[in-house]
Amino acid sequence: MLEVSGLSVSYSGIRALKDVSLTVGKGEIFALIGPNGAGKSTLLNTLSGMVQAQTGHARFDGVELIGRPAHRIARAGLIQVPEGRQVIAPLTVRENLELGRIAAGTRSGDRNALDRVHDLFPVLAERRTQLAGSLSGGQQQMLAIGRALMGAPRILLLDEPSLGLAPVIVREVFDALLRLNASGLTILLVEQNAKLALETAHHAAILEMGRVVMRGTAADLAHDPLVVDHYLGRTEETA
Amino acid sequence: MSFFAGYGPLAELALLNMVLAFSQYIVLRAGVFSLGSAAFAAVGAYAAAILATRYGVPPALCMVIALVAGGFFGAIVAVPLARLRGVFQALATLALVQIVLSLALNWTSLTDGALGINSIPKAVHITEAAIAVVVVAYFLHVIGMSGIGRGFDIIREDETVAVSLGYDVRKHHMIAFVLSGAIAGLGGAMHAFSSYSITPNEFGFHMVVMLLAMVVLGGRVSIFGPIVGALILTGLPELLRGFQDYRSIMQGALLMLSITFLPRGIVDTVLGRLRHRSLSRGASAKDRDGVTI
Repeated sequence: MLEVSGLSVSYSGIRALKDVSLTVGKGEIFALIGPNGAGKSTLLNTLSGMVQAQTGHARFDGVELIGRPAHRIARAGLIQVPEGRQVIAPLTVRENLELGRIAAGTRSGDRNALDRVHDLFPVLAERRTQLAGSLSGGQQQMLAIGRALMGAPRILLLDEPSLGLAPVIVREVFDALLRLNASGLTILLVEQNAKLALETAHHAAILEMGRVVMRGTAADLAHDPLVVDHYLGRTEETA
Repeated sequence: MSFFAGYGPLAELALLNMVLAFSQYIVLRAGVFSLGSAAFAAVGAYAAAILATRYGVPPALCMVIALVAGGFFGAIVAVPLARLRGVFQALATLALVQIVLSLALNWTSLTDGALGINSIPKAVHITEAAIAVVVVAYFLHVIGMSGIGRGFDIIREDETVAVSLGYDVRKHHMIAFVLSGAIAGLGGAMHAFSSYSITPNEFGFHMVVMLLAMVVLGGRVSIFGPIVGALILTGLPELLRGFQDYRSIMQGALLMLSITFLPRGIVDTVLGRLRHRSLSRGASAKDRDGVTI
């Protein structure tokens, strides 16, 4: 569904991504893991058109994304939930959700999008008239995801959805992602929490210093001694 | 009626300032830091004044042409300026004001230079000004409620989110520039038809600051922001007539106070508080219902 090949990105001379290639299949959850500064967010931002790539391709159902303006990528159905949740604080929950509708455009006239978001995150229905700025961090993350869903994404890109959330809330958010995936949505996920990411995803790739150093099924990676050593920690047996 | 007889010209001026303030309002609402409204107003005013005095074009037609000319000028400058952001956009549009100003001063064959254009027929009175304010305000209200208005709001609040959701920032900034240009073009022309004469200096830095102050003081989200701002900043000098020498100081102090204590402007702060109160009242009522059920 999404094929990335030979993608390289530089910021003012510094290579952030070097020859990155990976394939995200339809209907799967694909996780990108790796340390800070490895280029995970850069990759997402390049796919969604916020960052321009120097070389390489990214084909979304055969359509080239590189060089397309960001808003047209979103309208084509590749929708990113930006890092840090970024809800529009002075608007209500309901209004924030309505903002997400535009990306759907003429592509899909889904009248039930709001109901489905409310089913997924009932708290957003309860708080629909509250100002988004008054929500807790977890609720804001749910709102940001819900807002992206209003645009009827064909693939959803998430940048660190667990960032700064309490473990119980993280669980809730990831359960919602699993339910979305079960209903057929393809998800590309950037996550610092490697254990959580590998538990959730079908396939994963590890990015270090802008390169893909490892890639495979999430289960294989989770049992790879090197990955266990570097990303999961040896004392993980309690889990 | 004696009240209106005394304050008629002042009310007319306030209404005309509202039209110009709408031009400043619409760009700020879209997150465009344009100070170009004075330049657009100059284009509209000169177009209307020249057509009316030299070619005898009827005032109503002049105003329509000024509106189109302002919008067209806005579209032209939007091509390079919609790429800029923040302070760069402010500086570039300020330079635009200077360029238009020096054209008006030095292109004497067209504009009569510093003398300005005189004996423009008086075609705009308080009624016409009031109609213009209502029409423009209604038009901007409709746009504000539409998808374009939602786009303006989200782009102003957070451009990254806007783009990630599929909003075309460039297109919205272009629309804002064209609207700002058209409204200022109309406002400039009405000013010309109201005051018998125009001179280049009216469309200089003073107007830039005045329009910006009106919108900052009044508020830049609700359509009533520029209305209240124009009303206060037009009326204030008259109320302070006794302190004539200190007028500018009082105005400056008022602006500083409002920026410090009402950073969102008078109207948006008040509306925000009312809304917050009704929202939290609605929420607590729901909580109570929840308990009883």
